[in-house]
Amino acid sequence: MAKVLEGPGMGLLRKWGISTPNYVVVTSNEEFEQLSKVNDWLQKNKLVVKAHEALGSRFKLGLVKVGLDLAAAKSAVKEMLGKQLESVTIREVIVSEAIDHKEEYYASVKSTREGVDVMVTTYGGVEVEDNWEKVQKLAIEIGESPTDAQLAKLSKEAGFSGDTATKMAEFLKKLYTCFDNEDAQYVEINPVVQNSGGELVALDAVTLLDGDAKFRHKDWTFPFAAEFGRAYTTNEEEVMAVDAKVKGSVKLIEIPGGNIAMLPAGGGASVYYSDAVVARGGKLANYAEYSGDPPDWAVEVLTEKVCSLPDIKHIIVGGAIANFTDVKKTFGGIINAFRKAKGEGKLKGVKIWVRRGGPNELQGLAAMRALQDEGFDIHVFDRTTPLTDIVDMAMAAK
Amino acid sequence: MSILATKDTHVVIQGGVAGVNAARRMAEFRYMNKQPLNVSAFVYPPDAGKTNEIVCGTELVAIPIYKTVADATANHPEINTSLVYIGANRAYEGTMDALNDPKIQTVSMITEGVPEKDAKLLGKHARKLGKTFNGPSSIGVVSAGECRLGVIGGAFDNLVACKLYRPGSFGVITKSGGLSNEIIWICSQFADGITTAIGIGGDAFPGTDYVSYLEMFENDPQTHAVVVVGEMGGDLEESAAEWYGAKKRRIKLLAVVSGFCQESLPKGMKFGHAGAKEGLKGEGSARAKSEALKKAGAIVPETFGALGPAIKATHEELLKSGTVKAIPDLAPADVPRLPKTVAEAKKDGEVLVAPLIRSTISDDRGEEPLYQGYPASELINAGYDIPHVIGLLWDNRLVSKQEAEIIKRILMLSADHGPCVSGAMATVLAACAGIGLSQSVAAGMIMIGPRFGGAVTDAGQWFKYAIDNKLTVDDFLVYMKANVGPVPGIGHRVKSLKNPDKRVKELVGHVKSLGIKTPHLDFALAVEQVTAAKKDNLILNVDGTMAAVLVDIGFPVDSLNGFFILARTIGMIGHWTDQKRQGSRLIRLFDYLVNYASPKRRAVPPLK
Repeated sequence: MAKVLEGPGMGLLRKWGISTPNYVVVTSNEEFEQLSKVNDWLQKNKLVVKAHEALGSRFKLGLVKVGLDLAAAKSAVKEMLGKQLESVTIREVIVSEAIDHKEEYYASVKSTREGVDVMVTTYGGVEVEDNWEKVQKLAIEIGESPTDAQLAKLSKEAGFSGDTATKMAEFLKKLYTCFDNEDAQYVEINPVVQNSGGELVALDAVTLLDGDAKFRHKDWTFPFAAEFGRAYTTNEEEVMAVDAKVKGSVKLIEIPGGNIAMLPAGGGASVYYSDAVVARGGKLANYAEYSGDPPDWAVEVLTEKVCSLPDIKHIIVGGAIANFTDVKKTFGGIINAFRKAKGEGKLKGVKIWVRRGGPNELQGLAAMRALQDEGFDIHVFDRTTPLTDIVDMAMAAK
Repeated sequence: MSILATKDTHVVIQGGVAGVNAARRMAEFRYMNKQPLNVSAFVYPPDAGKTNEIVCGTELVAIPIYKTVADATANHPEINTSLVYIGANRAYEGTMDALNDPKIQTVSMITEGVPEKDAKLLGKHARKLGKTFNGPSSIGVVSAGECRLGVIGGAFDNLVACKLYRPGSFGVITKSGGLSNEIIWICSQFADGITTAIGIGGDAFPGTDYVSYLEMFENDPQTHAVVVVGEMGGDLEESAAEWYGAKKRRIKLLAVVSGFCQESLPKGMKFGHAGAKEGLKGEGSARAKSEALKKAGAIVPETFGALGPAIKATHEELLKSGTVKAIPDLAPADVPRLPKTVAEAKKDGEVLVAPLIRSTISDDRGEEPLYQGYPASELINAGYDIPHVIGLLWDNRLVSKQEAEIIKRILMLSADHGPCVSGAMATVLAACAGIGLSQSVAAGMIMIGPRFGGAVTDAGQWFKYAIDNKLTVDDFLVYMKANVGPVPGIGHRVKSLKNPDKRVKELVGHVKSLGIKTPHLDFALAVEQVTAAKKDNLILNVDGTMAAVLVDIGFPVDSLNGFFILARTIGMIGHWTDQKRQGSRLIRLFDYLVNYASPKRRAVPPLK
């Protein structure tokens, strides 16, 4: 899953014939100044200015301003650009044309196991949450496309009538075509509105693409955004850059405020380790995972980041019995980073808990155990200790 | 009995290196079970027509590689299963080929990062054809004592530790590769082991769901309980619960679901497998899944850690009711082992190997070369030089400072003699013909022999013969004339008494100045006195001087030509790089440099 910001999301909709308001994404006041001179619509229309970053609740944070004339828009742009919100700096702002409208509709397409669901309702905008049961759904099997008749019927069932019903059916057809051709996983347009000319326009879009399909979309030149309502941190971005380069995978998500650092192996086991921490009342400082026999240096980079997390009390180096990830090699990377961190004065008072099995497990575990002689507070267990027992032990330790 | 991967499974592996590695792991599994390899063919267009060598126990088996799945199944009609190791951007086409092949019933895909749409289309196509498409991102399938598809189960020691050489009573279905192995281990320690374990892959929409496999396990009389390791996201666990609760099932179902941590994480933060994500409206949470499974009558331990004891309790119940019988452990001697490599067996002191060669000079098995036991870096740091290395490697001894200086001078004096001599000329000729360095130098080397540079050993041999046998100069010359011919090391093409060889003068002067005993050099100079008196150019030449001096400082006769070869290599490399640097072009002899003494042109007689 890869989230796409509003600008590129709108770009994809326009590519497939869906009308959107005019918009520009700007990165500096000078750029907006230049743009405002050559684009009539910026001079004539009321404008909306929004921070163009992966941030949740932009309304609450005052990062969405509506009904502005050009002068007001300029000062809004100036105010937002460079603004610092916790770890995020606002680097981009999207300025779009406000569209006068009466009704707000909702339309979305979503990937399902069998194919896709096309969903639509006349209760758009903020109303959709409370009227979810009114949303009409058309399930399309994978490999099939919705027929005009099916979409016409869907529009009518959703409460559209006359000319608007015809237009909505056409709109949904374009939306489906966009979804299908762009390897999307979810596209939600809320609201869809009718402009003064009677044309249906997508005012706002949530677009999730299938990042795995990037190889066949040369025009996906935009970066993917974090899905969890905040921008990626520098550490996360650095680990992602390593992940993109290597065989296997390394992953990191930082969770501010936690004190149990996670460094487990495996996409499956890592979640059980997180569950175990939470179940024992612990607070996760991060999520991490390495798998698929990544090179030792990649695991080393990941470990460095984990060791740098603030105020951690424990590091959980857990893992199931690997099929083909070399325990000795990957532990080699972890050990290098541990030594480096210790040399830099980190890991003071941090307890390290290790449990692992798999190829070369004896050598890997022995190397970890040998860290005790170097003054690490490290506790090493083999496959005979159940998977998440090290979490129980860590949480019980004083 | 088992499901999906059985003793009758015959496999084609689609893909390159990773596929070959999987075949090796599969061969280990079959060897453990004393069964022949069940990989019949590979499909990998770049290597079509070649074979992959797979170690099966103590043998190497050559498995053919084909361009297409159709070629593979036509040549190996026993194939009924394909294992896909093709990169994500080409996996769709390759997998379609396999699914469309009438001989193939099951396709398991390990490839990760396959676009969701491709995976869904493949899943639908397989269902339409009534075939099984397992994956993507599947670690594979393993049936104890029968068959392993892919690397599931890991290294050989782990296969044995998990008792995968014989079936137990538990089926396993997981999304995670690492956890499949963990559960196999748990089943072997807390119960009697597994029948079949399946990794269905951690993608959002795997090709096969839990229910299809639960259905198969229900119909497999050997399987009495199934462990499902679920995750938040999707609805596969809910469907499994629905299936299990729908009617009385023969198999017991145990399940755990991960993702409870989600409840206390910042909103929207998700992690784990691609498929591990809640629905947009909150459906598919770990809690909802666990509840559904419990309600359907499945055993759902509160934590992953409680799974082992739950499996144990289930097994004890099965024993108590007489459904299964306890399986005795193998006697230690009967536990399968991989054959050892010679290196491993040697390390364990189990074999004696007669060495093929014996070396008395050097050893490079450690972190740096040892010359006669001395680490090269330590020699350097102690101030030793190239002549000492020559002494160590050619005569097994550390030469003295004085001797080293003599060797250095010999090498310097003999390094090159211009482009016109046989050796340099051959090197230059080769260089101009565009031949590489080592071959061009070798061409020059070939010239070194009785008439060019190769007389050092011969000269040393005969001077040594004279001294060893206490011959006088006269006796020696008589002996040589009668038995050998001209004295090696005596005589020069251009130099004479009047026009002495400066190199000889220089070397003799230096050696003489040292005040050491030089019986061979003295003898050689005495010989020169006699021969040069007879003919002006029968002087002691540089070969003869080197030979006498080197024998005097104790080098064995057989090594003597080496000093010329080593020194002259420096010159030949110089000539090659010289020509190369200048971009010299092909050269040939001019006709006027040849005396054409062959018969004149004449009529060819009819062939008889």
